[in-house]
Amino acid sequence: MFIDIMFILSALLTLGGAFGVVASKNIMHACIYLLGSLFGVAGLYATLGADFLAAMQLVVYAGGIIILMLFAIMLTGGHKEAVNKFGLDKIPSMGSVKTFLIGSFSSLIIGSVVLKIIASIINSHDGSGKLPEFSSSVEKIGTLLVTDHVLSFEISSVLLLGALVGAAVISRPRKQ
Amino acid sequence: MVSLPSFLFVSFILFLAGIVVMIARKNVIAILLGIELILNAAALNFVAYTRFINNNLEGHIIALFIIVIAAAEAAVGLAIVIRFYQIRESIHIDDATQLQS
Amino acid sequence: MNSSIVSFLSEMTNFEFTSLHAFIIFGIACFLMVNVSALIGGLGTYAERKISADLQMRQGPNRVGPFGILQFLADGVKLLLKEIIIPTQADKVLFLISPLLCLAGVFATLAVLPISSGLILTDLNIGILYVLGVSSLVGVGIFLGGYSSNSKWSMLGGMRGAAQIISYEVPVTLCIISIVLMAGGLSMTTLVNEQGGLPHQWYILHNPFAFIGFFVFFIGILAESNRAPFDLPEAESELVSGYHTEYSGMAFSFFALAEYIEVFVLCGISATLYLGGYKVPFELGSGELINSTLGGPEFIGKGIGQLLQLGAFFTKTFLLYYVVIWIRWTLPRLRVDQLVSLCWKYLTPISIINLIGIAAWEWIFKGQSIFNLIASLLHSSGGGGH
Repeated sequence: MFIDIMFILSALLTLGGAFGVVASKNIMHACIYLLGSLFGVAGLYATLGADFLAAMQLVVYAGGIIILMLFAIMLTGGHKEAVNKFGLDKIPSMGSVKTFLIGSFSSLIIGSVVLKIIASIINSHDGSGKLPEFSSSVEKIGTLLVTDHVLSFEISSVLLLGALVGAAVISRPRKQ
Repeated sequence: MVSLPSFLFVSFILFLAGIVVMIARKNVIAILLGIELILNAAALNFVAYTRFINNNLEGHIIALFIIVIAAAEAAVGLAIVIRFYQIRESIHIDDATQLQS
Repeated sequence: MNSSIVSFLSEMTNFEFTSLHAFIIFGIACFLMVNVSALIGGLGTYAERKISADLQMRQGPNRVGPFGILQFLADGVKLLLKEIIIPTQADKVLFLISPLLCLAGVFATLAVLPISSGLILTDLNIGILYVLGVSSLVGVGIFLGGYSSNSKWSMLGGMRGAAQIISYEVPVTLCIISIVLMAGGLSMTTLVNEQGGLPHQWYILHNPFAFIGFFVFFIGILAESNRAPFDLPEAESELVSGYHTEYSGMAFSFFALAEYIEVFVLCGISATLYLGGYKVPFELGSGELINSTLGGPEFIGKGIGQLLQLGAFFTKTFLLYYVVIWIRWTLPRLRVDQLVSLCWKYLTPISIINLIGIAAWEWIFKGQSIFNLIASLLHSSGGGGH
């Protein structure tokens, strides 16, 4: 009962946030809707028993990525539809009717392909099944990370270092 | 209520929303928002499958790596956006045409 | 079910709660917790004014109630009756949401604050990570408050605030990780129970690296809660009052309340991590010693133990709170470049060295504290003399 309520609330938050990201005209608002959607995904993780993952989602997304994106929006002129010096701004940057039509058409095609793939799972699952017994703990995830998945763990640390240095180098203003 | 198809449905809608945002928007940062949605849909799928079918923790590890990759992607992507804005004074994706021959 | 207020009550009264009972008790406990913390936040403003007056040889508020202690209620009523003025060019939705985001982020951290061994709303097994996650909502709230006011002062304040919060999260998180390394668990009760009641059993005196780590952590939380000397987001002399320049009435008081409660919560967490949390010396907190000496029914001993634990926690927390206010009225404000260089050139390298040092300490000395080592050394040399 409780887990159902939690699932419904999280799913509504996720889908509502995703809808807001699609529909909002203001990039700042879209970013806040994305924050809501990510919180909803964290709630879904908690529903699935992945509490460590939910906390990581909150720490990385709410604390890092969203603030980074808000910063980038501010540094690139906020939500204003500024015409640049090359005079290329024919389409409003948050999309027009034409781009949305193209987007929904292509998502329809991709969606039907994906539905074709997952239809077998949905049909085979009776839908009334209860949650299987499951235990997740931080210790098990830590043990898995340094035993079975140690190579990808190390590679991801190198990736993060590369991203850190690369971002600093790219965004630094060039000396004249 | 809480079963594999419902989670798959949520992640499916999330994925489609991300696709629409990526294609319809012309703002570079908005496209990055769409990429975040798609990455989250993928991670949610992994966690749901590992809970209902495998019943081990492999999916959690994959989702963790997806979060790491999303963080790296956001940092580098936004650095590129800011650099692009310094050069072209725009964050319109159609302005990024300098590499075209 | 891990330990929480509900399981503690059911153990105290020997009564098996159904899920509905548990839900109602949990709701009441949450309501009480939020209200008590709001009261503590209100008293925080009073304490701030009184202590600052003390430091500056003034009287401070002394008209409303005895020693002016009801001043915060008068201020609250005044702020409630004020109109919330929304600037015409402001982003109205975000303008009204951002104080709520700040307050929600702070209140959500109360769920895992270990006030005593029974009075913890829920003991998540990822407690400290949860605190880090939800408290980052405060940064988003401050940033959006600055952006949506559509004022230059607010925008500068909000950008400063967000930059400061996400850069100081790095040394704070590294310090927390080094403590987690010593305790071997992320949940708050594990972090507390690995320490003892007496000062030499606390993590601050466990080894030299943790001793340095406490000060790094404390400077970090000062910056995270935007307190002086790191109150650049609301620097009165440069930006009028920073990110809440355009706010008035309850919207402003939400920001102020969020700041004071955040200081309380962060002081409580640093007491938990480094100063032994709710632990009372000689295991008085469990109540067994009181029961065996005084006799009487079991719940009296347990109740006294809980009260002692509450006393220990609040003493440590309010001492740290006093230090925070004391620092605010003693040190001048830093410049922005000093703030950034303090974080990235000093605190982050020091905390990384601390992390490596604590890992090496745990590996070499098998997790023994420095007092244990000295005691065993004295014991063995004394034994050799005979």
